[in-house]
Amino acid sequence: MPGRFCVSITHAKDNTDKATVAFLVANAAVGSDKETVVFLSIEGVWLAVDGYADDINEPGLAPLKQLIGDFTANGGKIWLCTPCVKKRNLEDAKLVPGAEIVGGATAIEFLSGGTTTLSY
Amino acid sequence: MIANAPPDPNDVLDAGDQSCGDLVLALKRAVEQLRGGEILKLLTRDPGARADVPAWCQITGHRLLWGDGSTFFIQRKEIQRKET
Repeated sequence: MPGRFCVSITHAKDNTDKATVAFLVANAAVGSDKETVVFLSIEGVWLAVDGYADDINEPGLAPLKQLIGDFTANGGKIWLCTPCVKKRNLEDAKLVPGAEIVGGATAIEFLSGGTTTLSY
Repeated sequence: MIANAPPDPNDVLDAGDQSCGDLVLALKRAVEQLRGGEILKLLTRDPGARADVPAWCQITGHRLLWGDGSTFFIQRKEIQRKET
């Protein structure tokens, strides 16, 4: 049952619960053989900045740094919204391995054809 | 879920309290260590596993031989070999 799956995240340290649970769900998708993209926009782009998530540890959940590492290690892709990156002056920031700044066309191409998306 | 007792497993994964994506990735890693047709015994305390493990097997094509919510026996699907 191959297919594509997208998890859209618009939060970072403004809502660490949402940011963490979103990556848990993304890991469930990538662990179920889905071609999975985490699309980061608005404040969510911070999550892909190397070191930013190191101190996000929601009680009862795995550390976010570990979840992000598990996601990319299992083939998951992390895409950052270009204008959201620019607005926050993160163009030159070091990103976590597997993260990539993309434009809208890339996201739309991935989502076209009925790709299921969960938004956090 | 079947009434008959499952055969002896080839490996055992005690996933403890892991849930959701953590459980799925642990399960994926464990099953990928098996050869096609071999069986994994999964032990879990995740209350969501009763629904998640059958769903994961349905998605991935591995065979759920038996499960009671805290113990599951999963048979790895046969590995497809590319013809050259």
